[in-house]
Amino acid sequence: MFRRFLNWLRDLLGLRKNIKLGIYGDVNVGKTTLANRISLDWTGEEIGKVSEIPHETRVVQKKERVEIRLKNNKKILLNILDMPGLATKIDYRKFLKYGLSKKEAKKRAREATEGVIEAIKWLKNVDAVLAVMDATKDPLTQVNITLLGNLEARKIPVILVANKIDLKNAKPKRIKECFPQYPVVPVSALTGKNMDELYEAIGKYLVKGG
Amino acid sequence: MIRKKLKLKFDFISSEILEKKDAKSRIKFILNKVKDGTILVTDGVMNPEEEMDLIKETMRKVDDGFPGIEVCSLRKEVKGIKGFLDKLSDQGIKIQKIFTGKEPEKRKLKEGITLIGPAVFIKKIKRNPDSFSVLAGI
Repeated sequence: MFRRFLNWLRDLLGLRKNIKLGIYGDVNVGKTTLANRISLDWTGEEIGKVSEIPHETRVVQKKERVEIRLKNNKKILLNILDMPGLATKIDYRKFLKYGLSKKEAKKRAREATEGVIEAIKWLKNVDAVLAVMDATKDPLTQVNITLLGNLEARKIPVILVANKIDLKNAKPKRIKECFPQYPVVPVSALTGKNMDELYEAIGKYLVKGG
Repeated sequence: MIRKKLKLKFDFISSEILEKKDAKSRIKFILNKVKDGTILVTDGVMNPEEEMDLIKETMRKVDDGFPGIEVCSLRKEVKGIKGFLDKLSDQGIKIQKIFTGKEPEKRKLKEGITLIGPAVFIKKIKRNPDSFSVLAGI
């Protein structure tokens, strides 16, 4: 009762801390689909557009004050930050295959490089991270390894989200085997499968005193 | 029919050469070589923050002829007294960063191996926990 009153008072005075939750990962692993799923589940609104063309998200997309409720009735306030996909290479020619004109492809590539830089800069400002990996692909990529190394060095808590488990060839166990020191939650952001488990994990691993 | 000779250039560089440079010039040195078409191999591994800076600087250099890099590093797990001293050195750097607000200009590379090359030539890197294989071609 007292805690509820305290939270109400903190909300009123704007003192209640929102957790800045960064959604990071390689390109096309389903970061925006996951951000949309979380936002839809708790606010009824989506955050960004999803596309099969790589680098659809080229600027950081935000959804502030998303309140999620855990099984023990505890509430967590999140600022969701859907990051552009991290990459070590961006070739405009790849976009031509999706029917983009040369001019559009070059523009997309330029914006994508700026997006990667912006996502890296944001590492200094996030409180916690969901590192999204495509469970149908090899998780041992340099992007994943460099990202996790940076989070460890900065002491930023992280959950590995093994996404796309709705697909037949998904192997979320492989992610657990490759990164045994991190909590791994298999989900399908597309269908919503296992999302409750992810919310509980956010409360357990990403929130101080959770 | 004249068959054009297609060549790949590899530079094997001692980690000592990279350690003599500060973080900025180290990344500049690597990117200049890679942008020139060289595949660079060194007997050391940069720390994760430096690797992220390398990705950031690569993105700044991407253009029509240079789509970026492929990079793979394997860090050797150092145990015993050496491992302890390594951790101590990392803590020292963190403390220095707290007091000065800056990273030290020159940092030793971790034990291991790193390969960095132009993405136009390196087609695929298959990585295992303790090895990697590279498929390159022109």
